[in-house]
Amino acid sequence: MRFRDFLKENLITLILLIIVLITIEILLMIYSFNILIKIYIPVSILLIYFIGIYIIYYKKKSFYNNLLNILDDLDQKYLITELINTPDFIEGKILKNIVEDTGKSMLENVNKYKYIQEDYKEYIELWIHEIKIPIATSKMIIENNKTEVTESINEEINKIENYIEQALFYARSNTVEKDYYIKKVNLKEIINNSILKNKDSLLQNKININLHDIETKVYTDSKWCTFIVNQIIQNSIKYSKEDNKKIEIYAIEKKEKVVLYIKDNGIGIKKGEITRVFEKGFTGENGRLNGRKSTGIGLYLCKKLCNRLGIGLELNSEKNIGTEVRIIFPRNSFIDIK
Amino acid sequence: MKKILIVEDDQKLRNELKIFLEKNGYEALTIEKFDNSIQDILDKKADLILLDINLPYLDGEYICKEIRKISDVPIIIVTSRDNELDELISLNNGADQYVTKPYNIQILLAKIAGLLKRSESTATNQNKINCKDFILNISKSIIEKEEKQIELTKNELKILHFLVLKKGQIVSRDEIINYLWDSESFIDDNTLTVNMTRLRNKLEEIGLKNIIETKRGQGYILK
Repeated sequence: MRFRDFLKENLITLILLIIVLITIEILLMIYSFNILIKIYIPVSILLIYFIGIYIIYYKKKSFYNNLLNILDDLDQKYLITELINTPDFIEGKILKNIVEDTGKSMLENVNKYKYIQEDYKEYIELWIHEIKIPIATSKMIIENNKTEVTESINEEINKIENYIEQALFYARSNTVEKDYYIKKVNLKEIINNSILKNKDSLLQNKININLHDIETKVYTDSKWCTFIVNQIIQNSIKYSKEDNKKIEIYAIEKKEKVVLYIKDNGIGIKKGEITRVFEKGFTGENGRLNGRKSTGIGLYLCKKLCNRLGIGLELNSEKNIGTEVRIIFPRNSFIDIK
Repeated sequence: MKKILIVEDDQKLRNELKIFLEKNGYEALTIEKFDNSIQDILDKKADLILLDINLPYLDGEYICKEIRKISDVPIIIVTSRDNELDELISLNNGADQYVTKPYNIQILLAKIAGLLKRSESTATNQNKINCKDFILNISKSIIEKEEKQIELTKNELKILHFLVLKKGQIVSRDEIINYLWDSESFIDDNTLTVNMTRLRNKLEEIGLKNIIETKRGQGYILK
């Protein structure tokens, strides 16, 4: 806020004042007053006017500049409602009231949606727990009546199970509240669980599993992490080549981190698409290849969960050579005290 | 025969679980009413309890805690709740294992077998299996035959153990691979062939030639 601009806005008062001064000057001339009075009256009035208008300008300037500075520093701009000072001029007071009321109403609105979302998430979790029972029962029935037909149904049920798990974690990934529990876990346990979850499709696709150097402890939520590794293994299965399929999993301990490598020799990803694989809904060329049905959710969700857990997720790939996914667990020497 | 009590309120799942456990050589007991579940459970005097968490009247966590006050019977919590915190709570309440629905059936079996073995007082004898021609010492991972003995690698031991368990039956390669995967050895077809050859050579070294017979196109059989 510059004084010139402020003055420009108040130009009308200045013009009116000058008109008044001109009429006074005319009167003074008619009554032939002393020249000193003729000069003194307009000069003193103009001086008082400018002092007055500068005081008003200064008040407003300090209020608005302060407000703008606070707004600039704020991460969450809507918090301005909590930090606004009470000004001592009427427009400021009106503004303050408006900002406060808008803020309040917005907060109410946001809370409404937060509640709706929380409610929906709760419902999804409940629903998922419910649907797991008929799935478990179906799998039991299949186990007790093993034929070629039921085996084939079993495969489909496994797919359903995976989609359900994805939905559960999708719901979990969106909530504000902390929904995970970090503890020390052995990477081997996470990897073995993920592989066992995919046992049927790994065996069916005749994929060679090469695990080494995975006896490492990391701090994470094992359920979330198993889901992430599981998704990556599923991708490796889905985008494998015709034969001689391999998945290699190993971890390397570095100074401040543990890096888990999951490498396959699958069809790989086109160069231009690598940076986009973590985007929601991105399927790319591979997603449409040979009737593969890609939803573009898997890796997006992995990235999101990793961000929440504070672990890194990176991907390298070369077309027709394979894909390497790196999961990076930060290791703080501070929490590693035994 | 070991008695396993299934505490599960979904009737269909309960019945299928019962059939499955009976098929696998256990006696499966169930309770149908849950209004007095703690006393009912204790009355069955089972060797192991499969306990669901979501039950009518009293929830599984409470039941688990109450049973622990009175009995040391092994308890496996079976639940569809799948998060770290629930698992910790259950284990704190005295459960021995925690399995989430829908469970991997082979893993459930392995956990049952593991717990039953651990709770047995004569566990030491369990680690030696006498197979007429030789003795398989699981804890030491060796085959003993009269004075001779030979060491086995982890995979060889698992394969032989599985064949011993299925003695006299034809076991397919797929079954062996499946078994090995469930015990966390993720081997492929080629590795199995290599391990099989080595195992046979070792058996031959101590004079047990052709004890494992190949049934072409079907699998193997331990005589």
